[in-house]
This record gives sequence, C-alpha cells and structure tokens, in this order.
Amino acid sequence: MELPVAIIILLIVLIVLALAVFLLATIAELVKINRGLAAAIPLVGELVSKTAPVNGVLDAINGTLVTGRDLLEGLALKKAGPDGAGLVESCFPGEGAKFLRRVGASGAVLPIGEDYPRGAAILNSLLGGTAPVPAAGSAPAPAPAASGGSPSEAVPGGGRISLRDTPAPAAQEPAEPGRLSAMGARPWESAPAAEAPAEPGRLTAKGARPWER
Amino acid sequence: MTVLWIMVVVLVVALLLLAKLLSGVLGAARSITPTVTAIGGVAAAGSKDLDAVIALVTTQNYISQVVAGLANYGGSLDVALPDA
Repeated sequence: MELPVAIIILLIVLIVLALAVFLLATIAELVKINRGLAAAIPLVGELVSKTAPVNGVLDAINGTLVTGRDLLEGLALKKAGPDGAGLVESCFPGEGAKFLRRVGASGAVLPIGEDYPRGAAILNSLLGGTAPVPAAGSAPAPAPAASGGSPSEAVPGGGRISLRDTPAPAAQEPAEPGRLSAMGARPWESAPAAEAPAEPGRLTAKGARPWER
Repeated sequence: MTVLWIMVVVLVVALLLLAKLLSGVLGAARSITPTVTAIGGVAAAGSKDLDAVIALVTTQNYISQVVAGLANYGGSLDVALPDA
C-alpha cells in the first residue's frame, strides 16, 4: 500500500470518528434539552391557565369602575352643572378635560379649589342653614332640618366644605367659622350655640366665586 | 500520485473544518441546556406567584359592592341635592 493511500484511509477514519464523537455529544445535549423542555412546558401551561381568567376579571372590574365613574360624573354634571369639570379637576388634577370630553362638553376647565361654596351652601341649607338661591329652572333646595334650630345653631358660621382631606381641629372652635371638614369633627353633632356666620356670602349659592375673579 | 497527495490535503482541511463546525454545534447545544433549566425554574416561581390571582375574584366582588354602594349614595344625593 502506498503512503498517500494509507494517509487517506487514516484521515477518513478520523473524520468518521470526529463525526461520531461530536454528533453523539450533540445528541446527548439535545436529549437534556428535551427533558428540560418537557419539565418546563407544564409549568408554562400552568402560567397560561392561571392567567387565562385575568383578562375577563380585569375587564369586569374596569367595566364596574367605569360605570361608577360615569355615575359620579353624571351626578356631578347634574348637580354642579358647569362647575362639574372644575370639581373633577380639583379632586383629580388633569381629569377635568377628560370629563368634559366624555360628557361631550367643551370649554376651559376652572379648578374649583379645595372649597366649593355652592355645594357648601346647599349642604348648609340641608343642615339647617340659609337655603341657597336655586338656579333658574332647577329644583328648589330641600327644606332646612326640622330640628327647629337656627342656621347658626346647625352649622356655625355658614359652612364650607373641603374637597380634600384636611386635619380636623380637634375639639376646638374651628379657626374658620363654619368650615365643614370632610374628615373632621361634625359641628352639627356637638355645636353649641354659635355666632352668626362670619362670611354670610358663603351661604349664597350664586355668591362670589373666587375662581371667577 | 499527485492526485493522491491532493486528496490528502483536502481531507486534512475537511477534518479540521468539520471539527470546528461540530464543536460549534456542540457548544451551542450545551449553552441551551442551562437556559431551559432556568426557564423551568422561572416558570415554577411564576406559577407559584400567580396563585394569588384568584384573589382578583374577591377584589371584583368587593368592587361591585363598592360601586353598588356608590350608586345608592349617588341616588340619595340625587334626591337630596337640587340640580344645577
């Protein structure tokens, strides 16, 4: 046998051996991968099955919340009229314009601020204070409470309502007479005979509005 | 004879090339194995975390109750307060 032929045969054997070694090692790795995937796929299936109802539940939650939002916005529109967007803007900055778009209205959004004199006046009238001046064509304000007390007895000072949480003046005379704090003491539950309203104009539904100045 | 030597050279080059290519395939296959194992671990942890998803049903129920209470409250306000 000639030398080149022997070398060729040797090289061919080496090639076959290399093929066998590398391919067997590759096959072994592929088997490991297959086992790993077989273990992972059921876990991924669990993920899929556990997250499957999430969309439906979240859609239902969103639908419920949107219904509640629409209800409150409709109420704000009905009760506050043009002030509705301002009320929404005061409670949730940036939402006033969206509120206007949703209700199909337009115009500038004027934040009401922390106090809404008209709402305070209406609440004050319900609590026995001076009745607000109703808007033209609107329902009359409810009658004062039947306690027989004067407005100043029910709500000292005429009343303001805060749209945001404010610390309650604990067991003290309010620094600002008649302020109805959403989280504070309730003057109508404990108020003794109080002074006349310091700011009588706040009881008027159509009184001066600071944001219109 | 010359042809035989040329064949020898070609086979040597082919052997080297084959070894390089096969080692690349083997390295790639070996790099997949830990990734698959990690995917399994992450999927197991994620599946365990998602056990709390069932609480969303309770949340949905609470939200429905809250909105129902809100509707009642709004209805009362609608009656109690005058329109704008």
